[in-house]
This record gives sequence, C-alpha cells and structure tokens, in this order.
Amino acid sequence: MNLDPFLAASPLLVVALGGCLLMVAEAFSKHGREENDSRSAGPSGDLALGTAITLITGAIFSAGIWFVGPDKLEGSRALEPYLILDRFSLFFSFVLCVGGALSALLAGGYLPEHKLDRGEFYPLLIFSTLGAMMLAAAGDLLSLFLGLETMSLGVYALAGFRRASPRSTEAALKYFLLGSFAAAILLYGGALIYGATGHTDLAGIRAAITSTAATEGAANPAVLLIGVALVIVGLAFKVSAVPFHMWTPDAYEGAPTPATTFMAVAVKSAAFATLLRVLVEAFGDPALTSWASGWPPLLAFMALLTMTVANLIAGRQESVKRMLAYSSIAHAGYVLVGLVATIKVGGDAQASIMFYLLAYTASTVGAFGALILCGSRGAEAVSYEDLSGLGRRHPAAAMAFSFFLLSLAGTPPTAGFFSKFYIIKAALGAEHYVLVVVLVLNSVLSAYYYLRVLVFMYMREPAPGAPLARPMRSGYVTTALVLSAVLVLVLGVFPSTYLEIVAQAALASR
Amino acid sequence: MSSVPIEYYLVVAAVLFITGAIGFLLRRNLLILLMSIELMLNAVNLTLVAYNRIHPLNHNGQIFTFFVIAVAAAEASVGLAIVLAFYRVRRTMRSDEADLLRS
Repeated sequence: MNLDPFLAASPLLVVALGGCLLMVAEAFSKHGREENDSRSAGPSGDLALGTAITLITGAIFSAGIWFVGPDKLEGSRALEPYLILDRFSLFFSFVLCVGGALSALLAGGYLPEHKLDRGEFYPLLIFSTLGAMMLAAAGDLLSLFLGLETMSLGVYALAGFRRASPRSTEAALKYFLLGSFAAAILLYGGALIYGATGHTDLAGIRAAITSTAATEGAANPAVLLIGVALVIVGLAFKVSAVPFHMWTPDAYEGAPTPATTFMAVAVKSAAFATLLRVLVEAFGDPALTSWASGWPPLLAFMALLTMTVANLIAGRQESVKRMLAYSSIAHAGYVLVGLVATIKVGGDAQASIMFYLLAYTASTVGAFGALILCGSRGAEAVSYEDLSGLGRRHPAAAMAFSFFLLSLAGTPPTAGFFSKFYIIKAALGAEHYVLVVVLVLNSVLSAYYYLRVLVFMYMREPAPGAPLARPMRSGYVTTALVLSAVLVLVLGVFPSTYLEIVAQAALASR
Repeated sequence: MSSVPIEYYLVVAAVLFITGAIGFLLRRNLLILLMSIELMLNAVNLTLVAYNRIHPLNHNGQIFTFFVIAVAAAEASVGLAIVLAFYRVRRTMRSDEADLLRS
C-alpha cells in the first residue's frame, strides 16, 4: 500500500486526529462538572497544552514535508483537485498551526482567569484551524466552501463563548449573520461560475475561461463576470476589506480575547490564502486581469478604502481592543496592495504577501496576548485609561506590549518593518504608485494610535481612585508572548533568508 | 419530449436569491434573517442543479448541492444556538437592538 498520499496530507490528518482525541479527552475528563468551579481545577491547563502540542506537531509536519519537497512524494497529487498539497498549502498550514497554537496558549491563561474555563474551546479551536488549513489548500470550489464553513462554524461558537455576556453573544450574532450572508454570496458566485464554465475546480475554470476568451475574443460572458465579482465579494467579507468590514470591530471587541486573536490571525490568513489562490489559479487569465475589464481595479479600490477608512477610524477609538480590530482591517488593506501587485510581478508579490501574513500573525498574537496579560480576575484591560501608568507599575508587561505595537506600526528592526517594505517593493515593481503613496501615508497615520498606547503606558498616571488593571501571571500567556517575540525578531533580523524560503511557495501563474 | 427551458429555473433562482438578500438587509427579526439566508442557499442549490443540465458530462452541480444542503443544516443549528443565547441574555429577537458594541 502506498502511504505517500497520507504522508502528503499528514499536517491535516495530525490536526484532525488531535482534535478528535482532545474532544474525547475533554468529554471524559472529570473537570467538566458544574460543581467544580475553583480556579485551579479547570480543564484549561491540560487541554491548552494538548492543543498547542497538536497544532505545533501539525506545523512541524508541514515544515518537514516542505524540506523533503512535496513533489518528491509520489501520491501528493492524489487528492487534487480537492486538496492541492503544494508548498503554498504547506506554508499556510504552518502559519495557521502556529497562529492556532499561540491562540490556544493565550486561552490557557485567559479562560481560567476570567471564569470561562470550559473545555469546548480547544476542540473548537483545533477544528477551526483544520478548516482554515483545508481552505488554504482547496483547489475546488466545493472543498473551498467546506473548508470555509468548517472554519467559520467553529469561530462563530468561539466568538459567543461567553454565553452569559450580552456583548459576547452580540458579537457572535453579528459575526454569524454577516459570515453566513457572505458565504451565501460566495456560493452563488461559485454556482454562476460553474454555469459559465462547467467546472468547479480552479484549474478547470481557468482553462474554460482561456478557451472561451480565445474563441470569442476578449469578451467574457456576463454570468461569469457576475460570478467572479460575487466570489471576490464573499472572500472580501472574510478578509474584512472595506466596505465589507462592518462586522469586524464588533465581533473582535465582543469575543473573548483569545478567540479574537484566532479570528484576527488564522481566519484572516486562511481567507487571504484562498483569495490569492482563486485569483491566481482560477481568475488569472489575461481576459480577467486587465485593468479595463477585470478584477484588479476592484481590488485596488478596496485596498485604498480599506487602508484609509480603517486607519482614520482606528485613531478615534477609546477601547484598545477595538483599536486593534481596526488595525487588523488596515493590515488587510496593506495585504490587498500586495494582491493587486501579483498580476504584474507575480512571485515577488506573492512572497511579500506570505511574509506579511506570518509577520502579522506573530505581531498580532503578541499584541492581543499583551492585552490579555494586562488584565486579571475578571477585570480586563480594555480602554487606554486602563493601561495608564503600566510602564512604571509593571515594566515587563508594558515592554512586551510596546514591542508588538512597534512591530505592527512597522518600526525596524521588527518583522513589521520588513513585511511592509517588501509589499511596497512589490507594488513599486508593478508601478502602482498611488497605492504605494497611500500605503506609506497610512503607515504614518497608524503610528499615531499605536504610539498613543505607549504614551498612556509610560507618560500618564492613572486618575486617583480609578480601578487599576493588574497583570495576570500565567505561564501559558508568557510562553505565547515569548514565542511570538522570537518570531517577530527573527523575521526582522533575517528577513532576506526568510523571503527566499517563502518565494519557493509562490504559485506558478500558468 | 419538450422540457422547461433552463433559463426559467435560473430566473426563479435569481429572484429567490435577491428576495433572500433583500430580506436579509431590510428585515429586523433574527429568525427571518436566518430564513433569508436559507432562501439564498436554496437559490444556490436550484442554480447548481439547473446548470448541471447544460453540463451533463459530470454531476458536479448535483454533488455540490448535497454538500450545500448538509452544511446549511449545520449552519442553521449553530445559528439558532447563537440566536437562542442572544435571546436569553437580551430578551429580544430584533437585530437592531443588538447595539452594545459601537465605536
């Protein structure tokens, strides 16, 4: 029996198996009983560790197969077109597993601290990560839809994890309604594309578009164009690009912070992975990528809007968590610039997007993790005022927070600086000067609200009598912060080595 | 044997989809929002099955429909659970009263 197909799919299999085992372990653990609500006895400790280990094993398998080379495994194409197990998928499996593992570690500290210690969180997180990995590897509209829903259904539940809280249920409600609306739009677009081309696999769609363009001139049938637009809109909801971002700040603010982290990190990376794959592999035909009648102007317009609107609104927020939500929208805008550039410079732009997404994952986990670290015992640090004077009272927490915010703002020598640098380089190579100018202006604008946190932490004193946020002590949160800090620093200090590695993952635009 | 032209099915599906989308955007009752989403998904199913008739070489469209039906059921169960949790906390079924999270 040839085991190569299993080996090629092993990152997915490991995560799926780990999820099943943890779910059973959770069901049989003695922690789940209602009467057992003392802080130390919750199930979080073991499950968080188990989840992190499972996901990191998935990441190690991805990296291992990457170094062997997926094309060396004989059966790696056995699952095509449903799952394409190339370096692109492996890279995103790695990023998603790392993001999921770090979110699980944050949850291990957060949930017991805030009396949310129920074990369901971890299997939900693992299965969502699995869905995200499927989404990133999907080479057919069917598996794309299944991956998207597997990921989203778990995340809806995670967003509403604090069942008794009006804010958390409201966040889940808004996320669910807009998420499934977007999924329906995406599906209808997929159905129309199927009608126009007769294919649901991305390569087949591409071939059909090319052959009709060759026989009937450059004109595309209206049904196809509507389908393409609807698919792009559906995915734009998931990456929260303006004007489809309305749910993002609410969902991010109301959800428990580890769930927010997961949404900001894994959901967004997976959505970008699939957007990139769909645009390059299915809609990459010159008939659809021209500026006159294709998707690039649509995407460029969204990029401009996303960066500008998100940064302008982020500056006016009073809640740090909500500010970070808007900042994650703004980062989606920067990645969209890279996506527009893929038409002209291909591989470089794709590598810059992948660089960006890993750097963004590390910095965002760090920033939300530092926010988690700053709150304890049911009192979360939320507003800027909660953080005032933190630099003097708790220098370590404040320093960690500042470090990750500086990376998000794009200060050298952190990962954030080089990720923006490569995106700008790719966009310059593609001669999208307007986008570059807007991106640079927006980075300057974003420094305002990131640095505002630092001003509050180091230069303000809390108002007398105001409740003070005191940092929690948790080995899990600290571990997650240390790991992301290492990642941010490594990417920031050795960017070119890493860029060469990810460049191998770029999709060949056939 | 003459049969109904495929355009008829497609137009019905498009009307259903647009009805669902408009219902989603205009109505304020959470259950009706859920129903609107289901309507949109069913419009997708109808489109897929209709299109399968002009692409008779394989059954991709019909297979896709089965998956959509299954996933729609899963989605509805999660959605109803979330609506129920919302109702328990807030004692309302109106989506415009979900206004705690604002900038």
